[in-house]
Amino acid sequence: MEIGLAHYLTVAAILFTLGVFGIFLNRKNVIVILMSVELMLLAVNINLVAFSSYLGDLVGQVFAMFILTVAAGEAAIGLAILVVFFRNRGTIHVEDINAMKG
Amino acid sequence: MIIETLCFYLFAAVTLFSAFMVISSRNPVHSVLFLILAFINSAALFLLLGAEFLAMILIIVYVGAVAVLFLFVVMMLDIDFEEMRRGFLQYLPIGALIGAVLLAELLLVLGTWAVSPEAAEMAAAPTPPVEEVSNTAALGQLLYTHYVYLFQAAGMILLVAMVGAIVLTHRTRKGVKKQNIGEQVRRRRSDAVEIKKVQPGQGI
Amino acid sequence: MTPALIPSLGPAVPEILLAVAAMALLMVGVFRGNGASNLVGWLSVAALGVAAVLTLGLPGERVLTFSNMFVVDGFARFVKVMVLMSSALAIIMSMNWLDRENINRFEYPLLVLLAALGMAMMVSANDLISLYVGLELQSLSLYVLAAIRRDSAVSTEAGIKYFVLGALASGMLLYGSSLIYGFTGTTNFDALATLFGREGYSASIGLIFGIVFLAAGLAFKVSAVPFHMWTPDVYEGAPTPVTAFFAVAPKIAALALFSRIVLGPFAEMIDQWRQIIVFLAIASMVLGAVAAIVQTNIKRLMAYSSIGHVGYALVGLAAGTEEGVRGLLIYLAIYLAMNVGAFICILAMRRKDGMTEEIRDLAGLAQTRPGMAAALAIFMFSLAGIPPLAGFFGKFYVFVAAVNAGLVGLAVIGVIASVIGAYYYLRIVKIMYFDEPAAEFEAPMSRELGIVVTAAAVFTVLFVLYPSPILDSAAVAAAALVP
Repeated sequence: MEIGLAHYLTVAAILFTLGVFGIFLNRKNVIVILMSVELMLLAVNINLVAFSSYLGDLVGQVFAMFILTVAAGEAAIGLAILVVFFRNRGTIHVEDINAMKG
Repeated sequence: MIIETLCFYLFAAVTLFSAFMVISSRNPVHSVLFLILAFINSAALFLLLGAEFLAMILIIVYVGAVAVLFLFVVMMLDIDFEEMRRGFLQYLPIGALIGAVLLAELLLVLGTWAVSPEAAEMAAAPTPPVEEVSNTAALGQLLYTHYVYLFQAAGMILLVAMVGAIVLTHRTRKGVKKQNIGEQVRRRRSDAVEIKKVQPGQGI
Repeated sequence: MTPALIPSLGPAVPEILLAVAAMALLMVGVFRGNGASNLVGWLSVAALGVAAVLTLGLPGERVLTFSNMFVVDGFARFVKVMVLMSSALAIIMSMNWLDRENINRFEYPLLVLLAALGMAMMVSANDLISLYVGLELQSLSLYVLAAIRRDSAVSTEAGIKYFVLGALASGMLLYGSSLIYGFTGTTNFDALATLFGREGYSASIGLIFGIVFLAAGLAFKVSAVPFHMWTPDVYEGAPTPVTAFFAVAPKIAALALFSRIVLGPFAEMIDQWRQIIVFLAIASMVLGAVAAIVQTNIKRLMAYSSIGHVGYALVGLAAGTEEGVRGLLIYLAIYLAMNVGAFICILAMRRKDGMTEEIRDLAGLAQTRPGMAAALAIFMFSLAGIPPLAGFFGKFYVFVAAVNAGLVGLAVIGVIASVIGAYYYLRIVKIMYFDEPAAEFEAPMSRELGIVVTAAAVFTVLFVLYPSPILDSAAVAAAALVP
């Protein structure tokens, strides 16, 4: 069977859904939330590269490259915030995050 | 063709399996390793699409830097695994329902893609045929001419990430002994050695 | 082989100045250490001021540069000046306070400067990619600022929440952008506008999906309801000068971005957009009015208040006309003044053992600190929308634009929400003037903050007498956006 664009888009859609699902499911574990965000960005990258390939236009790949760059920076900052949080709290349990209520 | 089809299904299946294991694994270290597997298989998918530069960059940057950073942090934080698994099941049904609905809608939509007639004239950067210019060279020609603004902006973003990570996590500890290479190199014999005339039989 | 293109740097001079200043100040800070924080702070304010002046000096007509990714028009100029000014005020507000709280690091004004650069880039974006890059530059700086008080559990918690929320929003926005790119073949706003404007163009369902995801991502960034989760927690947990910055500059920039997207590339689909924006506006106004009533922490109250104000601003956008955009811009300018003034007063709520954030601690302020109480009362009345203060006129222009566009129901709901919401602003005034005095605040306001607060209060009171500079420049800016 011929592999068409729809196949790649399906893979990306499932990945994106898994990423969103992972964020809402893993309230307890901030590291897995961060990894779910990376999965979402990976899904967007697959989308863009697939479109770029089937449209015959390099802009999608350029966009994907910049998303890659920003995602790396975002992961660094997210992990830094996580480390600082852990130093203060001793846990990464999100349900413990209720110091502020209202 | 048959090879390409088989490869696609293999890589796609492993990617989706590893993504699922990332979010449902008990152990965060396993999650990170499955994330690495997902990235590597996506890189293979990119190769199938003809974006070889992006595929290699995905492996070098995402796997080589970002995933390793995740691994470092997971190892560094002393996480209690038992605590974390409780309550996982209570969110599962509603989350699965929302996920299934979202996915169904997306699949309905994406199956209807067709190249729009205007797309050919819209293409801002038509891909040159690969015999003439390799993917990397084509991207390079595009990036430093038309997209130089984004290139500089990406540099500023990386600067912010660096400054931010250091501001948040760098701690200066007191009493740490450090080397000052410049001082060591500047040392002269006159500072280091002192000649004392000693009489035989007497100490210093 | 494409010949090398040299883009014209003229329209981007303010941004280039900000970037160079940020890097130079980073060097100053590194070599002088944390003792130079005040120096870096004042130099950042100077850089922002010069950038604002340069922005005003740019030509009034629409200019594109950097391969049509960067646009400067009257709208961008107006919003950029507001953003740069509010960033400068945020740095000024922070200097004394950070010193007292022992988190005085030279990176703080630097991060604010970089956030301002991101916001300026975002407002001038003419392409989905440059939009994303500007948005992320701003967001990354803000994530770090929210968590910058790294010894406090509450502040780092605010940082994590803000980060997760922001990353989710960016992910959705990107997925939408990728679908839009795939179904149209371009990311440039002008090309999209031309495409949609063609006779007989029907948007495929994939494109609609892309627009929905993009709208959801933007609504997160603006913290409109129902995408406002955790916003009150972030506002409460972050250090107060950072909260003041959050409440003003990123909101202005994000609302301007939203306007540009709705009225630029997707102008042909204004009818579908209108329904979404009306929903967002109503939900935000109602929640902002109702949820703040039970708050006891003044920063959480200001968070819900800002959600409500975003709702009122979106009413202006829902109208979709030039008058609506003018109303939006006037509202944002007045909102800037009121919020800056209110937060400066909140920053002065310091006791011997540290900052206090409870509303009951404002009791009897009129007797212990009459000047501060009077200023805070003016800002509270203005936020509630009571004439003849400036806040009333902001709402007036927005509601009139909505009525003129046929959205009478929306305007009525807005007025009702405004009246309900006035309760909690007036309650603060009542506590200040009619309750038994609580313990007095120590440390009077520093001189520069006193000047700023007085200026904001004077603007709020006297706006009714001399509104034309703001009105006219807003009208010019709106005309630039809606051709």
